[in-house]
Amino acid sequence: MIRRIYHSLGVQKFIRNRLALAALAVILLYFAAAGVVLLGGITLEEATQRAGPDNVPGFLETAAPEKRLQFCRFYLEPVERALKKKDPAAALREIAFAERRAAEKPAAELARIVESAFEIVDELSESENLYDQPALLPRLAALEAKVDSLYAPLEGSEVFWRRLRLSLGTDRQGRSIAIRAVYSIKVAVQVGLVTALVSVFVGSLLGGAAAYFGGWMDHLVIWLYSTFSSIPSLVLLAVLVYMFTGSPFEGTLIPVYFALCMTSWIGPCRITRGEVLKLKELEYVQAAASIGFGRLYILLRHILPNTVHLMLINFSLLFISAIKAEVILSFLGLGVKNEPSWGVMINYSTQEVINEFFWQIGAATAFMFVLVLAFNVLSDALQDAFDPRTVLVSAKER
Amino acid sequence: MPLVEVKRLVKHFPLRGGVFNRELGKVHALNGVSFRIERGEILGVVGESGCGKSTLGKAAIRLLEPTSGSIFYDGQEITRLAHARLMPFRRRMQIIFQDPYSSLNPRLTVRAMLRETIRFHGAAGRREVEKAIDELIGKVGLRPDAREKFPHEFSGGQRQRIGIARALAVRPEFIVADEPVSSLDVSIQAQILNLLMDLQEEYGLTMLFISHDLKIIEHFCDRMLVMYLGYAVEELPCENAGERALHPYTRALLGANPIDDPDDRRPLAVLQGDVPSPFDLPKGCPFAGRCPLVEERCRREMPPLEEKTGGQKVACWAVE
Repeated sequence: MIRRIYHSLGVQKFIRNRLALAALAVILLYFAAAGVVLLGGITLEEATQRAGPDNVPGFLETAAPEKRLQFCRFYLEPVERALKKKDPAAALREIAFAERRAAEKPAAELARIVESAFEIVDELSESENLYDQPALLPRLAALEAKVDSLYAPLEGSEVFWRRLRLSLGTDRQGRSIAIRAVYSIKVAVQVGLVTALVSVFVGSLLGGAAAYFGGWMDHLVIWLYSTFSSIPSLVLLAVLVYMFTGSPFEGTLIPVYFALCMTSWIGPCRITRGEVLKLKELEYVQAAASIGFGRLYILLRHILPNTVHLMLINFSLLFISAIKAEVILSFLGLGVKNEPSWGVMINYSTQEVINEFFWQIGAATAFMFVLVLAFNVLSDALQDAFDPRTVLVSAKER
Repeated sequence: MPLVEVKRLVKHFPLRGGVFNRELGKVHALNGVSFRIERGEILGVVGESGCGKSTLGKAAIRLLEPTSGSIFYDGQEITRLAHARLMPFRRRMQIIFQDPYSSLNPRLTVRAMLRETIRFHGAAGRREVEKAIDELIGKVGLRPDAREKFPHEFSGGQRQRIGIARALAVRPEFIVADEPVSSLDVSIQAQILNLLMDLQEEYGLTMLFISHDLKIIEHFCDRMLVMYLGYAVEELPCENAGERALHPYTRALLGANPIDDPDDRRPLAVLQGDVPSPFDLPKGCPFAGRCPLVEERCRREMPPLEEKTGGQKVACWAVE
């Protein structure tokens, strides 16, 4: 069976399309990432904890001296506060920025370092503009070395994870943008998969039944989808999500699933209806009727399987449109609330963009862009490979 | 008792459109066609395209619901039988289609297709079904490795053989062959016709053979029914049809047939004008506008299909 599928014309044609294979690889990578998140590789706690100071720039940008001074202060202050507590050792143990923890040194020694560090901080703070005073940079470097010695050196894989965590910087609550962007893949893939699967299934079945049985069934389905598509889809989405306010599902993905499924079954339904109207007149369908098969059997065995190519294409189209809709809903505050999502990230980044910090909005859009682009390429390739007309043509050419 | 008898079969297709999907008119595909086929006989149906040949074939086995008229199968009326009551008759009559490309489901292998058909009509045991599939594939002259192939892996002629195998899978006694060779190359046509002839002899099949090719009809059938615009205008034995033909339309049809003798030259009586539209039928005989023998009466009344000489029936006022 698998061998037969592999050797079928459509699959062979798909495999020859290198761009499509690359897109498929990207999509599989995303799915793998979503799987890792789903299996607990990245926990929600990790995605919401503080990993460092606010607005740390990502790997491409070096921090300005002003900002470096600010970061040093950020790392100094919790140690200073801890040392003033009754039980400094216990308070020190509580300091944690993801992998980074306070050094296990005697309190007296730490106090000495903190004191000398603050001297440099005061000295540097007095000068108005650190940009214009390169002479002060060695002092800044010395300060950074002192701050570093307050914290335990990272070991082994921790170095790598730390670097990865800060590779795209942090947002204005010090949370790792990289982690949040990757965690958002899970939300996106969940929304995309559920919406696309349910909509394609329901839409194809309704459209197929409407076209094949005709009569009141057809009228009902046409009336349903005309009604739904006469309401602007974003408004309908918002209304459907609002329906859940106050319910226990508020803020989870359930309202998003529901709203997206209610609006996106229309596309596959229409397309399948049109195709089945054509297919039901074909002679193999009449042949099946002359053998005496029941109408439902003919629909499910002889007609709908011949619209599989449409289902595949619709699936990949709906997958991306669902993801985009989820991002918009979350951006408007109607989607997910308790988890990170690209929409939530973009919503957060509005404040940062004013301060010329683009890492969060950049990361969220880039992650979404790559996925959407890959899916667009894939659905084009699927269309080329599995449309029975083109498959038939190439079969005759052989 | 004839195996199949059709009486005054009428089929109209409503033409809908405009606001509220009103019925704008009707296509008069069949206007009261009657015929009977004895057991083991092959009745050819001939006529130009659009004259209702295929509609007649499909309506005769209840693939299309006739508007009026009645169909008797083996003495029982099946015109209005519901799905379940029709089921025992379904397995006794089958159809072979014209287009070998659209008549096979592209997603089913030959084996899957034959298996569902055989199992649907009784045969139960796995081994029994597999044996029946092998036998059918052999019977229609396909190689045994055709079992696991998909339709697109076959040529047109081979596909037509698969279509025949599917029709035979339920062991029918009556087969409607709806232009089974029209879309095939001439060399393949002969093969398929020979196959049909062998099978007809072997199983004692009764057939309604639809074609627009007079040569094939004359060669293959016992009697032929000539159709024009949804009417049966003449029914005659195929032997020496050229000399027997009485109806002016049949004569024109047979006269248009190429003669395989270069010295035998006759002036060609080419029909003038066009077939009237099936949307609004002319009053009286549909052929009146093109008929060389037209009389005053033809434009007023449709002549009935009446028996003239030796089992030959003609619908024409001018023929005595």
